[in-house]
Amino acid sequence: MTIAKTKNKKASSFNTSLVIGITILSLIILVGLIGPLLVDKNMARVGAVKPNLPPSSENYFGTDSQGRDVFTTLVLAIPPTLRTGLIAGVISVTIGLVLGLMAGFFSGGADSIIRTFSDVLVAVPALAFMILVVARMEKPSIIAVAFVVGLLTWSGTARGIRSQVLSIRERSYAAVARANGETELEVLFREVMPNLLPLMMASFIGAVTAGIGIVMALEVLGLGNNVIPTLGMMIFWSQRFSAVLRGMYWWWTPPIVTIAGIFIGLFFLSQGLDRYINPNIPQNQKRKRISPAMSKKRTSEPATAKVKEAQGVLQVNNLQVVYETAAGTVKAVDDVSFTIQPGERMGLIGESGSGKTTMATALMRLSRPPAYIAGGEILLEGVDLLSISDQDIRKIRLKEIALMPQAAMNSLNPVIRVGPQLRDGFKAHFGNIDQKELDNHVNEILRKVGLRPEIVERYPHQLSGGMKQRVAMAVAISLKPKIIIADEPTSALDVVVQKQVMLTLSRLQQELNAAVLLIGHDMGLITQFADTIGVLYAGKLVERGTIEDVLENPYHPYARLLIDSLPSVEGKRDLIGIPGLPPELLNLPSGCAFHPRCPFAMEICHSDKPVLQSPSEGRQVACHLYEKYERLPSIPSIRVDHLLAPSEPIQEG
Amino acid sequence: MLSYLGKRVFQFLLIIFIANSLTFLLPRMIPGDPILEAMQIKAAAAGRQNVDIQAWVATYNEKFGLNEPLWKQYLIYWRDLIRFDFGYSLLDYPATVVSKLKGAIPWTLGFMSVAIFFAFIVGTTLGALLAWPRSPRLVQGMVPFLMVISAIPFYLFSLAMIWIFGVELRLLPTGGGHSPIQMLAWNWATFVDIARHAILPALSLVLFGIGAWALSMRATMVSVLGEDYITFAQAKGLPERQIFLRYGVRNALLPQATGLAISFGLILSSGILVEAFFNYPGIGSLMFNAINQKDYFVINGTVSIMVICAATALLIVDLIYPLIDPRIRYRNK
Repeated sequence: MTIAKTKNKKASSFNTSLVIGITILSLIILVGLIGPLLVDKNMARVGAVKPNLPPSSENYFGTDSQGRDVFTTLVLAIPPTLRTGLIAGVISVTIGLVLGLMAGFFSGGADSIIRTFSDVLVAVPALAFMILVVARMEKPSIIAVAFVVGLLTWSGTARGIRSQVLSIRERSYAAVARANGETELEVLFREVMPNLLPLMMASFIGAVTAGIGIVMALEVLGLGNNVIPTLGMMIFWSQRFSAVLRGMYWWWTPPIVTIAGIFIGLFFLSQGLDRYINPNIPQNQKRKRISPAMSKKRTSEPATAKVKEAQGVLQVNNLQVVYETAAGTVKAVDDVSFTIQPGERMGLIGESGSGKTTMATALMRLSRPPAYIAGGEILLEGVDLLSISDQDIRKIRLKEIALMPQAAMNSLNPVIRVGPQLRDGFKAHFGNIDQKELDNHVNEILRKVGLRPEIVERYPHQLSGGMKQRVAMAVAISLKPKIIIADEPTSALDVVVQKQVMLTLSRLQQELNAAVLLIGHDMGLITQFADTIGVLYAGKLVERGTIEDVLENPYHPYARLLIDSLPSVEGKRDLIGIPGLPPELLNLPSGCAFHPRCPFAMEICHSDKPVLQSPSEGRQVACHLYEKYERLPSIPSIRVDHLLAPSEPIQEG
Repeated sequence: MLSYLGKRVFQFLLIIFIANSLTFLLPRMIPGDPILEAMQIKAAAAGRQNVDIQAWVATYNEKFGLNEPLWKQYLIYWRDLIRFDFGYSLLDYPATVVSKLKGAIPWTLGFMSVAIFFAFIVGTTLGALLAWPRSPRLVQGMVPFLMVISAIPFYLFSLAMIWIFGVELRLLPTGGGHSPIQMLAWNWATFVDIARHAILPALSLVLFGIGAWALSMRATMVSVLGEDYITFAQAKGLPERQIFLRYGVRNALLPQATGLAISFGLILSSGILVEAFFNYPGIGSLMFNAINQKDYFVINGTVSIMVICAATALLIVDLIYPLIDPRIRYRNK
């Protein structure tokens, strides 16, 4: 593990693209800066040397047909080329920045005018327009050309800045600043501008690239200043005097290689910068779902995994899921073990960032980079899901273990109708199934989840949030799995729909007698649904037991605080929140991760990690308090009976 | 749906209006007399010394309405544009700009559309494979190469290709659209001759295009493969290949298709330099020669056609997009 960690760290701190880009560009810039001081400028004049000479020790790159030394001309041509690009880039980014900020901040009139203009510029070929303008110039000056290029290429920058401004303005810190009484302009300069810096850098590189590209193209067409040599003009001259056809490779290759170098350098530079703009995109994507160590384990075992002695339908032993990030390895699920019995409804509760969803995907072996399963066992009826082949796990998914996803609105393919998305699961598991039988089955499961059969003709976006969640549920139950992992299935729904969906899930669970692992952060929802509960804190299971036992007598202070935070229907006590914030997984507190927020924190909690122990059958807790007192010191007791009874019956569907 | 259509058509007209107004205005903001310059070149080319160029210029200005006030010229400009009348070539006087365009555009459309389609198909397939975790290492290893290729201005490849295939190896013609001795007729020999001449100009565009399409497809695929519906499809136990094709490629093709339509919109203008290098008889060479001879009306007409072509392509994209993406179809219903 440690090796993987250091390797990854090294790879992410060393930005290869940026280094390549900067190296190439600095080489060229260096030649452009120092070169002109060292060469004899007269050698670049027409007729200065004997024409048509191939490269020699005197003329490194030979001479052209007009009697110019190619090497000298090349060295002198680099600065004006770069300068034009730079000026064009500055102008373009300035215009783009100003207009983009305006469009982002004064939405409405200004925005739509700017958008219209940028649409026009996107629609017109910039080069054609440039030709039109520059063709009319007697002797196009670099500044004038650069200015027109800037005028024609700002739209990309403006669009990028505008959308960034809009998204940053929506973020919470902008709202906080506003609430603190900052004016919109202050918000703009203090909160928004610093966040735009990387984007502006990238836009600048883009504009310089476009600038050099267009100016070069114009020069190659002959629309340049015929007196000052530039890289584009060199190509134009070599074309005009048929250098290629005459086989004078020494004439046209140096400018081409230099231009290619400039563009490749700029490209790598922008690629390197991209990492700072979109830091979430993993740079070296590991496609492995299981860590190298785990895959070794997989291959060393026979393809047909042995059925192990296991309790329950799903037994998780010491599961570890880690995230490989630039900042280091994070244990999102740390040594978690639990067992679910057939037909059991287990609730798994935790704050955001406690590893709930990571766990849900890991249980189906669907962890994606940068997350991967680093150790443990997931025994589904004794078969270790982590040790079987990809093909075998594929056959088990949906049929034995099904997922009800967290975000149903994004879990259906937006461009495929609902019907095919319901059918393809069957087809994947049963091959050539009779169409009529399939249709009947689809109708059947749709009816079960309370949807009409007609919706198979609809696209996902034509369904309401609740309907989409029901479609996802239909998929999950379609092959009568033994266990359904419901990962916050209702978190995106409003309360009434939430209740209806949960009732449907409840009814289906009884019909199928499937085990359900309901993952969520809503203690109320879980207590109403589940038979047993597990409490997850900072990737660790800290308490486990039946709902009644845990509600009646929680052993872990975190569980107690969660219970206390439930509103009482009788309104007899004040609502209590949990003090503090969830811990950062990258920077976990020492000892027990909960100690900074724990009202009972003791000396030992700062230094020693509590171990999970089992006080009684089916009951587990990881807390030093329990070791000491065997139950929590007194906190005002609460009544639990009203929590277990549904407060008010809501009609299903 | 109707309001969607109306909005798109309005936007199209707006683009045409603004772009063509710019085409009219921009060159007129620059000092100098284009007719005078062109006439000087023409006189020099004809080897005439003592011509009264001023009188010539006056006649032309009269003929083209160039001594009218600007607003009147602007109206005339629009009247002519609607009639698709771009005036006359200054250098080949009796020849109209439209007749020159008519002669050039088929050549450009021919070699460019083949090049664009070929590059799109190869590049998109390659890009999809690049994003597929199961594709061979060899394919993955091509990424840096493709990146470098797509970063270099593609017209630079043309010179190298003329040199390698035309000059050194003598495999393919180095320029022109057809052999001077080849009679143009609807037969096999003509087709082969034209195709042989088109290979090199098309090749540099294809080379660049494959890189660009592959990279954009790869980027879209990577983001599509990160979507929740891919995870859910995997949770359904679908075979990897089906997830890749029906959930990955199918969705990633939408932005690619937009890109394809836009590159068709730029079909007339994106090959200008390549055509100029190969002296290919298309619209690019027409423009290149017009620039060097200051044949002002030809330049103007060419740019107008390019702008109209690009704007029309955008309109077509907007109109067909609802057909390929159901989300748009229904949102605007």
